[in-house]
Amino acid sequence: MHEVSLVNSIFRSIELEFPKQDVERVRGIFMRVGLLSNVEPVLMQSAFAAVIETESAFRQATLHVEVLPILVHCAECDKTSLVENYKFVCACGKPSNNIVQGTELLIHKVEFALDDD
Amino acid sequence: MSTPHTHKSNRAPVGAVQCENTSLNLLKANDFVAKTIRDRMAAQSTLVINITSSAGSGKTTLMQATAARLKDTLSMAVLVGDLETERDAIRIREAGVPSLQIVTGGICHLEAQMVLQAMDHITLEGVDLLFIENVGNLVCPAAFDLGEDYRVTLIATTEGDDKPKKYPRMFLTSEVMLISKADLLPYVPFSVEAVVQDAREVNPDIHAITVSSTSGVGIDEWCEWLLERVREKKGSDESNDSVVFLSKQLGSM
Repeated sequence: MHEVSLVNSIFRSIELEFPKQDVERVRGIFMRVGLLSNVEPVLMQSAFAAVIETESAFRQATLHVEVLPILVHCAECDKTSLVENYKFVCACGKPSNNIVQGTELLIHKVEFALDDD
Repeated sequence: MSTPHTHKSNRAPVGAVQCENTSLNLLKANDFVAKTIRDRMAAQSTLVINITSSAGSGKTTLMQATAARLKDTLSMAVLVGDLETERDAIRIREAGVPSLQIVTGGICHLEAQMVLQAMDHITLEGVDLLFIENVGNLVCPAAFDLGEDYRVTLIATTEGDDKPKKYPRMFLTSEVMLISKADLLPYVPFSVEAVVQDAREVNPDIHAITVSSTSGVGIDEWCEWLLERVREKKGSDESNDSVVFLSKQLGSM
């Protein structure tokens, strides 16, 4: 359910960002999703396959999903560290929920085919 | 490679495949509407609380208990989201508080747009405290800002004390965790200490209150917390004596 509405958001965002004639030439959509966005790449691909059935403009497009790990910045030691097992603790031992990466839900690149004329 | 292609340009590109580096945030539309709600509620000093939890952990019962305690102290209203039926809004109205049901029709979370539309169908003028009772789900609602001041997540003692780590984003984005159905603690293998520790590993700042809407345990502390936030929202000016006075009255009960 949630994935289908996300795929619809992807299409609406691209339509808002690019002129109509370019939208029909979209061949690749590159997403970056943070681990905290609760987006599951496999489910996104299934939802994408289902939605393009009715969205003819995007029928030739492929979805690429890159999952980004969670990074927190620690104010105490001014370092950025990786959050593992959802334990929001800096390497120095201080708890930190100052997230610098991991909540993204972004389209970072769109690939277009080039027409011949 | 190809000629660089700019947004909204009609220039025909040459070459094989071209790429457009972009940064389109899929939640941009939701966040924009959430800001509209936040600004509107700030202008009228209405405190907005987004209540989230799994299905069946006692959100609506908490709304009823909160209404019983606070409805004569301040003006409150509740927007309540569910996939189908108007049952929850009816229960809350029976507790004497204006309430409107948002039927999502299968969508697993509330989005800011749904809340904004619902706001046109309920009187919010003069409301001190607006609750948005989200769809029962610890996953999707976490990503959607509804323009709230605070997010409060319930976790019932019947659910298990290992939930915060399983649904980290919800606990990470909540200011308060209410451990509900505390009256059942003697009968279930649930440790308040363990759940608080688990939640604080995700969110060191989370404030935990143990409540039971049926026995009344912790409801005073919860209502005190709410009144304090309402007071903050209204600012410390002298014109809000009524809230301050009633809160003192409540504290002395």
